[in-house]
Amino acid sequence: MSKNLYFEDVDIGDEIGPITRSVSDDDVIQFVSIREKKVAPSRFTSKEFANSEGLPEAIVPGPMNIALMSQVLTDWSETVCLLKIDVVFRQTVPHNKELTFSGIVTDKDETGESTKIECDVVMENSDGVKLVIGTGIIALPNKS
Amino acid sequence: MTTDEGIVYDRSLLGVETDIGTFELTREMLLGFAKSTGETNPRYVGDENGEGDIVAPSTICNVFVSGVSRPDIKLEFGEISFFAGQSIECKAEIRPGDVLSASTKLDNVYAKTGRSGKMVFAVWETHFKNQDDTTVALVTESFVRRNKSR
Repeated sequence: MSKNLYFEDVDIGDEIGPITRSVSDDDVIQFVSIREKKVAPSRFTSKEFANSEGLPEAIVPGPMNIALMSQVLTDWSETVCLLKIDVVFRQTVPHNKELTFSGIVTDKDETGESTKIECDVVMENSDGVKLVIGTGIIALPNKS
Repeated sequence: MTTDEGIVYDRSLLGVETDIGTFELTREMLLGFAKSTGETNPRYVGDENGEGDIVAPSTICNVFVSGVSRPDIKLEFGEISFFAGQSIECKAEIRPGDVLSASTKLDNVYAKTGRSGKMVFAVWETHFKNQDDTTVALVTESFVRRNKSR
């Protein structure tokens, strides 16, 4: 993570990441247990339950995916302030499989009225299939 | 092309705000959220001992919109539903000890036909305020309902 990334340092086309990681069964249970004191079997925590819904395996919850997607941006630098993130779930995200998160800068406010930067973000599996895509708006501080 | 023509659901729910509860955010919750998502940013996890001031990633609001009981829109379509997409606007910092109150409303219902056939989307908007009545996050969620693959 860059400690001091400033608005002036960033150009359209700059790449963000990539970050590679997987989401374990325990990660999902911990995530779900933030809200649920007793974690009930669901498509997120139980393969059998997922199978009963026509899914081949337990999947990562959508809210967890958006948290992971936003990290691509917030891990870029300690100076990043996330303003908005918008994601589309294109495919279900499995547990325990390698996932790659990356981003690219697509627009930069050159009007001088803000330090907003727009980025595309994506989560891919090890075959390069896009599982989750999205856009983010962040703000960075000025050098001056 | 999208349309809501022919979709059977309770249209009286469109735009109606419903309280979905209050949520007290403990430091333990914030750190649990950070740990489960592999977060390492000191802003969210504190120093190497987990001490010091922290804030919550705004995406923590998702934890509270997920699984809440919303009014049944009585949608007469499909056998299986999925979370299709979501956006979060981060309006203010969320800190340990904050008590968030949330209200949600059905914003839109529409149909779309893709490679797997017809799908119906329901879009909900959820508004989070803290104990000072400051809006901290706006969450828009889209759920899709479709038939199972044969």
